[in-house]
Amino acid sequence: MRLRFWGVRGSFAMCGRNFLRYGGNTPCVELLTRDGERLVIDLGTGATELAKHLMKTEFGKGKGRLNILLSHTHLDHIQGLPFFAPFFIPGNRIRILGADPAGSTLEATLQNQLAPCYSPLEGLENLNAYVTIDSIVPGTTLELDGFHVQTAAVPHGNMWTTAFRITADDHVVTFLSDVEYAQPDQPSPEAIALAQGADLLIHDAMHADHEYGHRRGWGHSPVAAAFAVARAAGAKRLILYHHSPDATDAMIDAVVADAQKDSPIPVFAAAEGTYLEL
Amino acid sequence: MDITFWGVRGSYPVPGAATVRYGGQTSCVEVRADSGARVILDAGTGLRALGQRISRTGGGVPARHHILLSHVHWDHIQGLPFFEPAYVPGTQIAVYSSVAAADELRPVIAGITRHEFFPMPLESVPAQFEFHEVEPGLGFTIDEFQVMPIALNHPFGAVGYRITADGSSVAYIADTAPFTEVLHKRHFLNGLEPLTNEDRATLGQLRADLVRSLRDCDTVVYDTHFLPHEYEKFPHYGHSTPDHGLEICAESGVRCLVLYHHAPSHDDDMMDDLAADYRQKGAAAGVDIVTAREGMVLAVGAPA
Ligand SMILES: [Zn+2]
Ligand SMILES: [Zn+2]
Ligand SMILES: [Zn+2]
Repeated sequence: MRLRFWGVRGSFAMCGRNFLRYGGNTPCVELLTRDGERLVIDLGTGATELAKHLMKTEFGKGKGRLNILLSHTHLDHIQGLPFFAPFFIPGNRIRILGADPAGSTLEATLQNQLAPCYSPLEGLENLNAYVTIDSIVPGTTLELDGFHVQTAAVPHGNMWTTAFRITADDHVVTFLSDVEYAQPDQPSPEAIALAQGADLLIHDAMHADHEYGHRRGWGHSPVAAAFAVARAAGAKRLILYHHSPDATDAMIDAVVADAQKDSPIPVFAAAEGTYLEL
Repeated sequence: MDITFWGVRGSYPVPGAATVRYGGQTSCVEVRADSGARVILDAGTGLRALGQRISRTGGGVPARHHILLSHVHWDHIQGLPFFEPAYVPGTQIAVYSSVAAADELRPVIAGITRHEFFPMPLESVPAQFEFHEVEPGLGFTIDEFQVMPIALNHPFGAVGYRITADGSSVAYIADTAPFTEVLHKRHFLNGLEPLTNEDRATLGQLRADLVRSLRDCDTVVYDTHFLPHEYEKFPHYGHSTPDHGLEICAESGVRCLVLYHHAPSHDDDMMDDLAADYRQKGAAAGVDIVTAREGMVLAVGAPA
């Protein structure tokens, strides 16, 4: 399995020289199997860059097929949707899967995003591709064209996000973002189960440990929480993800250097454009 | 009076090496009078950095802020939940827009912070929000600024503003299509639709009103999203080219036209070429053409 980060920044897209190495686009991750099957997680602004790449393939000719998993519908995870070019080519078949937000449905939420006052697209029905929107129930298992996906709800401030354990080509990637546990050193059992023995754990690490004090309750993890999950689950590699908009390249370098010091497993910060081969 | 560009990009923010010089954040311009009074034009992603600047220089003292919205497409409002002063108790934020009464501005703005989209709902934000509906042609004042809203041609409607203070004027004309091929109303366009005679008359009136409203304006910031060959493919998207902006500004006797709301696909090198090309075209037509860059500060008023 191959993985590429198209957006790694949390909350807000960041532009300019201080964000070039790790990247300023908001969340979007692409997974590819050996056979070329593809799965995308989240549609932050990174999805606009992924879209350019996809348009050079069968998606440009209206022959693409794609499954997209949404961790949740906070804007940084869907703001690339109206600009995801494969949606505008008739013939592409694209399925968006995600949990219903409390009191609403996934489809109604995305329809709200494209409401006529907010978006010149004026509604999902104006996307030319064949787009289906499927609500999923966290805790269930999905079979998505060569990807076996186990899902679980994890706490994210006053709401829940869906985390994913994805198995393909005999490898396991666990995606746990955006999440905040009651205590950084006591991750929820669902999170640990999802990351059990994973080859790669991608975890929310929005806050450096020393900043976490004033940001408790905002729904995001300090680096220590990502480590706690990796340790308890015996994950083989840890990727710190969903970087704070305030974290410049130099600040992320410092966090990683610090994290690597006493880590029993390899740990990296997700960087836009990076390919990982599993 | 001067203006500062905090976001110059259209549609969505574009991080990365290709936008380092012109900037990747979306629509947001700050207008400052000589007295220090301020109005903010649009609340795109550029508003976050402006909010940080205000917090740092204002000593955390709550103030009253005025935000004039051209319309409520995401690229013009997405920065609002990230505006730091909104989280300082005692702050007052007055938001102005032409959103029709039927839609009401408060629920529209509250809609972008509903829990599906953002962790903190508008009613929990410490700042006090006020919402004002503006109408093209009906002027009003904010501190020493005289503000005149101007109707534009954009999907679901948009208004521009002419702002006068300290003896000169700046206008903000975004987003707008030209006034020839398409009349934007309140339904989705998948391409060009035939114009009725009535549509043509409405377009003519919009254009005439715009030219009149910009008469002898010192500086005009204009939606010039597309290059001409791009516009030809997407005339129904609701945006203009620099040529469209120049035509209007030359006719109105404007001193300086600022190219603004750059397409996300225009990288810094393209922007350099475009800026040089249009500087020449402007000179030939008697209008100074400047290309907006994030962080740029422009003095408004004829150079002494
Ligand atoms: Zn997020
Ligand atoms: Zn716009
Ligand atoms: Zn617009």
